[in-house]
Amino acid sequence: MEVLKRSALLLGLSLYTAFAAGPFVWAAMMSLRTTTEITRDHFALPVPAHFEKFPLAWFNSNYNVYFTNSAMIVLSAVAILTVVGAMAAHCFARYRFRLNRVLYFLIFSTIIFPPQITIIALFQILVQYGLYNTRLGLVAVYVAIQLPLTIYILETFFARIPADLFDAARMDGYSEWEIFWRVSFPIALPAVATTVILNFILLWNEFLYAVVLITDEANRTLPLGIQRFMGDQLEDTGMIATGLMIAIVPVILVYAFFSERLIQGMTAGAVK
Amino acid sequence: MSDSPTILRDAPAIAPVGTATRADATAVPRAPPPPDDGVPRPYGTIFAFLLPALTLYAAFTAYPFFRTLWNSFHKVLPRRSEFVGLENYATLVNDEFFWRAVRNTLIWASTSPLFEVTIALLLALALYAKVPGARFFRVAWFTPVLMSYVVVGILFVWIYNYDWGPVNAALRWLGLSDLARAWLGNPNTALPALIAVTTWIWTGFNMVVLLAALHSLPKEVIEAAELDNCGWGQKLVFVILPLVRPTLLNLVVLSFIGKMKIFDLVWITTKGGPLWSTETVSTYVYKRAFEWSTFDLGYPSAIATAWFVIVLGAVLTLTYAFRLREKLEY
Repeated sequence: MEVLKRSALLLGLSLYTAFAAGPFVWAAMMSLRTTTEITRDHFALPVPAHFEKFPLAWFNSNYNVYFTNSAMIVLSAVAILTVVGAMAAHCFARYRFRLNRVLYFLIFSTIIFPPQITIIALFQILVQYGLYNTRLGLVAVYVAIQLPLTIYILETFFARIPADLFDAARMDGYSEWEIFWRVSFPIALPAVATTVILNFILLWNEFLYAVVLITDEANRTLPLGIQRFMGDQLEDTGMIATGLMIAIVPVILVYAFFSERLIQGMTAGAVK
Repeated sequence: MSDSPTILRDAPAIAPVGTATRADATAVPRAPPPPDDGVPRPYGTIFAFLLPALTLYAAFTAYPFFRTLWNSFHKVLPRRSEFVGLENYATLVNDEFFWRAVRNTLIWASTSPLFEVTIALLLALALYAKVPGARFFRVAWFTPVLMSYVVVGILFVWIYNYDWGPVNAALRWLGLSDLARAWLGNPNTALPALIAVTTWIWTGFNMVVLLAALHSLPKEVIEAAELDNCGWGQKLVFVILPLVRPTLLNLVVLSFIGKMKIFDLVWITTKGGPLWSTETVSTYVYKRAFEWSTFDLGYPSAIATAWFVIVLGAVLTLTYAFRLREKLEY
């Protein structure tokens, strides 16, 4: 009886796993098959596997441009976020000053803002300053939208570092900047890593701000590129699938190496 | 999310720099911490640390926010803008499409959390019961959250395809070909089909959070229940559920907020169609601002502002209602 129950439970869980992962497996299979093969049978195994479709998509369908843009934009945004966010979080956690909690709450509360409340004006502002349709403009906006979450995660961690450590560092003649850079920051590396991975994934997948603020083919990020390709080549299922895989691979790689940390970051706001 | 740290934490006060040497510190017994006012605050340092973040916040969050509010009372054309008072809001009240979008979004935001959290709870309980391979399941189920809505959207356009999508293929295989339909092309099924997609995406995420909450439950309480000959069902209803309630409620609020903002998935799959059956407020704002060639950014700003107030109100009400119930029962 117990065994029966166990196996029924396992069967249910396996079914759910197939449901959760099936679409990706299917897309991965299609990414290695030509559209003609796919039209013949949509669910067949990729035999023979057409690996040449990947370089084809990369060079002929502009995925190299999209990928490079995404990588440049996301990596610079994440780098800026990490430094700027950590500085602010350290300051909120460490120093007592008037407005500390007010400023913190102001920044934190924007987490629940619907993006529409800023996006139209952001469009106007970027046009005004010549940042519309530039990668720099998108980087700045990305930093701004991820700043609240980054500060929130880091502040929570910084606040738990014992104050004695700072007193000791101060007595050793460390300047305030050195205390941040050589004491706080290294200790908080686990939390910093969490925000880095989290911001990377969220921004890599970002679509709304990109679609509003970028129009040039040369500046498109991957989600925009995929959407465009989908619009132009609606019937070319095989090639679209290859494009999807190109966009997914970095995420899968990060997940493969840092799954625990990533899960931790994604759920940071939800627990408690 | 709901327990935002609004209370002033006991942040360590800054010791007067350069007044105490190591010798002093050991020789003189530590005086009680000086009153808050006596502590010099390195305002220069504080300012330097906050400046980059505050600049970015001011330029790309606060300023756009207020500019949207300003926009909403104006007619904003590319070269000029004129004050129109509450005219945009008056139009909004009579805008049939806006209300359809509101209705769709509210249906989405109120049903999704129930599906997501319920299924997630069942899955989390299954893993909590020490099923072999729990680690693998946990990592596998979480995957959909990591994918861009663009990727997921395209995948589901295929999955719901009339001719060869797996959903219809399965129905035909089961001999239910009458039920096969263009799921995203039919005004009656498009919205439920998209709700199913967000459920597919977010269930794993909710599961992981709930599992973490379950694992942090005090072991003694559950053991005590077992000693009292509590069955699984009773243990669940009387011990586990009340204990993870705060987490459950947080997840509901979080899921609700997420669905109130939803844009990408709709934009990739249906663009709000067919016949506005999947139009959400976000897609409608986008259409009015950047797709319909009205060139007026004032009206969409008014929609965005109104929606902002509604979202804020809903979130505050939910949080407050949940808190209140908490107090009543304990």
